[in-house]
Amino acid sequence: MKTTFLILLIASLPMAGLCSKVEMPEWEEPKAAASYILGGGLWPNDILADTDTGEGEGESEGETSEEASEGALATTEEGNELEKNPVAKKENLEFFGPAEGTEALAVPPPTEVARTKATETSVDAVAEEPVVEALPPLTGELKDLYFAHAPVDFLVDRQRLLTEQKSNDIKRFLEFHSDESDYHIYVFVVGETQKIPDDINLQQLHREWFADSPTVVMFYYREAPDMTEFVYNDAISSALPSSVFERIRQNCLREGAATDLAPDQVEKMAIELSIQLYWLSRLEQHESKEAQALAAETPIHELPASADAPELLREYAPGIFLEESGRRFVSMILTALLIVLVVIIVAAIGWTAIWWRNRDRYSGKPLLFPTFQVVPRLGGEFSGGGFVSMSFELHDPTR
Amino acid sequence: MKCPKCQRPVDHEAESCYSCGYSELEAAERYGANHVQLSRVHDAAACLRKQERDDLAEALDHLEMKFPQMLFCAYLGSLPPGVSMSELGFWLLNHGQVKGAEYARPNENAILLILDMNSKQIGVSLGYFAESLITEEDAYRALMHARPNLINAEFGEALERIFLRLSRVLRKKGRKLQKVSHQELQDQSRALNRNVLDLPPHLRPELPEKQPEIELRSA
Repeated sequence: MKTTFLILLIASLPMAGLCSKVEMPEWEEPKAAASYILGGGLWPNDILADTDTGEGEGESEGETSEEASEGALATTEEGNELEKNPVAKKENLEFFGPAEGTEALAVPPPTEVARTKATETSVDAVAEEPVVEALPPLTGELKDLYFAHAPVDFLVDRQRLLTEQKSNDIKRFLEFHSDESDYHIYVFVVGETQKIPDDINLQQLHREWFADSPTVVMFYYREAPDMTEFVYNDAISSALPSSVFERIRQNCLREGAATDLAPDQVEKMAIELSIQLYWLSRLEQHESKEAQALAAETPIHELPASADAPELLREYAPGIFLEESGRRFVSMILTALLIVLVVIIVAAIGWTAIWWRNRDRYSGKPLLFPTFQVVPRLGGEFSGGGFVSMSFELHDPTR
Repeated sequence: MKCPKCQRPVDHEAESCYSCGYSELEAAERYGANHVQLSRVHDAAACLRKQERDDLAEALDHLEMKFPQMLFCAYLGSLPPGVSMSELGFWLLNHGQVKGAEYARPNENAILLILDMNSKQIGVSLGYFAESLITEEDAYRALMHARPNLINAEFGEALERIFLRLSRVLRKKGRKLQKVSHQELQDQSRALNRNVLDLPPHLRPELPEKQPEIELRSA
């Protein structure tokens, strides 16, 4: 009996497993999934629309998620088909730019369609590349701005190619240089792609503008210091050998090549040119006989930087400030020592005067007089009547 | 030397003045033969403030330490008319006894300043030993040195300046005396006591008839 019951029980076990069913989670209603918003409403609708583009199509067709995955699979298949056939790809892309073959095609305008991931990455890549503005040629009104009239400022940057702060610094330095030196420096800043018009003769222009005063004009091309041109007065050019000017140019170009940015290049080249012109003026003085005698009388170190020298010059040529600061330091020390010495002398004199006045008050070693016999007179035992008197009446008739 | 009464020169060994016959007896007859006790700074006129008295006492202490043999004292009073300061000084040095003065400081070593508030006069009376150290010129210079203070009624400071000035003279004199030998010192003493006027000894004049009354009064 027991054996029969056991056989029946073992035989019924697989039947129960066949009849059981596993409960899986599911939406309450088939379309309830569409009512849930991804992100809880935190994201803008446009982004959700973009990201749900594939699903939206599936919803419009009333397909389930499995169908959507099938749609995505179909899209990849379509992509592969596009790779195989690029012509079909071009026809499928929606492009609102100018027609093919025009110049504007190179940079397509941003459109709503270009917001796909592929196009966004391409736009970012374009944005990271430096934007190079194509400067207009030096013609017409721009040409007149540069060359129509003699410049008023020492820095001529009509197109604002330098930063404002640096321009002010350079201007101030050039003004300081013109105050301190016999030579004036005018700096013209143009673009690296710009060329001086053919009808402009720099040497002739220099004669017209700066015939009276010794002036050096530096034409600087933005971020291309090796293209820099220097124009001198005819008198200066003829007085000194060309090697001198070539050396000045080389020194300036070397300074300019030390940096990459245009404002720094102009600044360094202007300072170097200023220094070179100082030595040029010294050289000229040495050339003339009268100047030779004058130069022999005045030592070089008599020309320290003035008090109003800009800090820019201190940064690049600190040597000219050292002597002045050292001299000032020495003079301060000497003055302080002199004051201390005077105070000590006055104190010593005062102390001596006080001591001299009060020296009788200070008890020193007792002084003993030798005794000797005295003879009394007028019958006095201790005094013989020795007496001295004085009146301290203001209106004493006897005085 | 001069006579305290007539201010005429008197010889060192003269018993009385050649001119007026003044002597200590006459002074004793007038001011008394007794001894009087004085303070070191005897302010009978009460013209010194306490601060001035203290400062003067401090200065005198220093001077006494510096010159252990010397006696520095002062008498400030309003003398009645007819009383001569020189006679008073002569009498005080011979009849006065300064309180606190040791035997090492006899009156012959005294420098006594007398200030008369009525006549606006100041004088220096010197004992025998003191007048051998301080000349009349030095004493007069010392008095003149304090004249501005006396005019401004700064009597305490004036007395202090006079004493300090005289102490300077004493110091110089003392240094000079320390350098000379004993023989030279005796020679100087003899020269100092020699008969200046080169006159025969002048005998003591006879006392006037009213001498017994004076003695009685002083007694």
